[in-house]
Amino acid sequence: MHEDRFPGHKFLPYILIAPSIAVIFIFLIGPFGQSIYESFFVSTPFGTRTIYVGLRNYIRLFSSPDYLNSVVATFKFAAFVIIIGLSISLAIAQLLNQKIRGVGFYQVALIWTYAISPTIAGVIWASMFAPATGLIPYIVSKLSGGYTMNWMTNGQLALFIVAAAATWKMLGYNIIFFLAGLQNVPDEFLEAAQIDGASPWKAFWRITFPMLSPTTSFLLFVNMLYAFFQVFGLIDIMTRGGPGNATELLVYKLYRDGFIHLNTGFASAQSFIIFFVISVVAIIQLRIVTRKAIYFR
Amino acid sequence: MKLRKNFLIILILSLCLLLSAGTALAKPVTITFWHAMSGSRLGVVESIIESFNATHPDFEVKPLFTGSYAETLTKYVAAYPTKTGPNMVQVYEVGTQTMIDSDAITPVYQIPGMLGETWDWAQYVIPITHYYSVDGNLWSMPFNSSTAMLYYNKDLFKAAGLDPDKPPTTWKEMEEYGEKILASGVVDHVYSTGWPSWIFEQTMAYHNHLYADNDNGRAGLATEVVFNDEFGHKVFETWIRLHDKGIYIYGGAEYSANSAFKAGQIAMLIQSTSSLAGILKASEFKVGTSFLPRFEGYPVGNSIIGGGSLWVTKGQSEEELRGVWEFLKYIGQKDIAIQWHKGTGYFPVSGAALKALLDEGWFSADQAFLTAFLQILAGRRDTAAATGVRLGPFVAMREHFRAALEKSIGGELSPKDALNEAAEKMNALLKDYLELYGK
Repeated sequence: MHEDRFPGHKFLPYILIAPSIAVIFIFLIGPFGQSIYESFFVSTPFGTRTIYVGLRNYIRLFSSPDYLNSVVATFKFAAFVIIIGLSISLAIAQLLNQKIRGVGFYQVALIWTYAISPTIAGVIWASMFAPATGLIPYIVSKLSGGYTMNWMTNGQLALFIVAAAATWKMLGYNIIFFLAGLQNVPDEFLEAAQIDGASPWKAFWRITFPMLSPTTSFLLFVNMLYAFFQVFGLIDIMTRGGPGNATELLVYKLYRDGFIHLNTGFASAQSFIIFFVISVVAIIQLRIVTRKAIYFR
Repeated sequence: MKLRKNFLIILILSLCLLLSAGTALAKPVTITFWHAMSGSRLGVVESIIESFNATHPDFEVKPLFTGSYAETLTKYVAAYPTKTGPNMVQVYEVGTQTMIDSDAITPVYQIPGMLGETWDWAQYVIPITHYYSVDGNLWSMPFNSSTAMLYYNKDLFKAAGLDPDKPPTTWKEMEEYGEKILASGVVDHVYSTGWPSWIFEQTMAYHNHLYADNDNGRAGLATEVVFNDEFGHKVFETWIRLHDKGIYIYGGAEYSANSAFKAGQIAMLIQSTSSLAGILKASEFKVGTSFLPRFEGYPVGNSIIGGGSLWVTKGQSEEELRGVWEFLKYIGQKDIAIQWHKGTGYFPVSGAALKALLDEGWFSADQAFLTAFLQILAGRRDTAAATGVRLGPFVAMREHFRAALEKSIGGELSPKDALNEAAEKMNALLKDYLELYGK
């Protein structure tokens, strides 16, 4: 096959892709292999002593209530970010896709949140909800007659606020893609539906939404990765996993165990589990959603 | 996570490049120094290093801000196997046992001997060096040392009908004052604290009560925590009771509570003395400071030292070690220690600096700077309980305490159960540490 495509150059293709392969091996597969290896050991932070413990790191993880809490919190968080986040984004994108005055302004105003760094977003949300000085606890306290809204002591509230911040942060990105998807839906289809007497609501669900499915499935995937892996900065700035362990999502717990508590073996075991879970979910998603998505030219 | 790892590798590689380029070009011996001082402290650190380099042409100290304390330690650990670490590193006090057990450092007390010098360690303020000593020998150079004290808002005290020159001295008074201040309606909540786990450790030490066995981990590795007894539960339950009455408002893990105090939304704050300069600068009211409140009828101990110290990497050339040693001596010098104290609020580390500050009237101009000193000098320092805790997995243990406090404040667990749960989790961590380091 390859000989046909590059006549006379038997090894050239391999040489050309070698740098990429090398990068993947050195920076991805190598460390990954090392993580798996290390997950069977406990060692001192400076590596002066290492003890083989077999599957103990894994057994401890699964028998630890803190880890199970973390799993539950992660799934709640991801569900919020994906379902609520995508729904709101789609609704806003639909609104932005109207022919109204100043639509450009609204588009920019709603999209720019994506350009904010997680640190800034975290600081904004954290100060908005700061128990003693924040605007929102103040409003809540005035409206309710003295109720103290303190997300630093209320775990479920903290998880909700962090999820809301993460959703808000991702909103711009989702809107851009939905907007692009919506602009690809041919007007003729919608006009035809209108002439046939379909309500806008029906037209949306029967025509627009199915035609958006490639965008939706792509965004589902991206948002899932975002919810599992990329919210680290927000959590670190806003809650550091607290209160209690309420916002200690899997990836944040891994960071704390590995990089703050210097417990490499335990963290390696966690990274392998996250990898495994994400792979399974990703495969299912790619198989089912992508196959059902409607592509058109 | 992988991204982070890669980033670390790239960072280290580029650092190596920088270092090798530096040594090839410059004549003076380069001393690398990793630290975690950000904000206004960074400027003070840099100006001290600049003046060191100017006065010591044979050496050049190159500082590198490596992130938070935890990140700095992580980077140091990551750099160690490849020998790309710095000559000196700043480590927070909770990392002390990790560093002692690391086998990666040269204890500071051995350095003068290695260079053929003798050095009088007694010139430093004893309660500070005491914390970083093993069997009476100093292992790391105290750099930014602080302790905890009580800050209060004199204007709010007056507004609530209290005597602004009579801050509470006991927890009973904290509660009484709290109720009065709440009743007067000047604020919605009365006090908050920074660093709750550390404040709990302070409270133990302040009443000469051990936190962990084996003399707080100072006589040998600790095997279990001992704070969850009658006294510990009393402290913890008092905090929760004050919270339930609305007197105490939980203020997060580090410095978040400061903003509420500075804005006049709470009347009192228990916080590190290192916040003093910042609080004085930002507050538009009269700030009072006093000793930590006590529980009556319990023994007297001392407040403990927190902050960070400088550790020296093992296996340096004699020239490098000499440079490191010159720098360590330099930061303890009178003028430099004074500059450091005035710029940051951290303790000046030497007795001579203390005297000079006294002579120039620094403490009478604002006696708030004196409070912390009097507090540590007034307490005892002949017991391990009053000296402070040294534990291997201390960082993780502190988080269990914080989680316990947050859980019982949130009503998820009763104070008793929460504290016991934390103790149990901490004991499991200590057991793992013993497995790795025990003989």
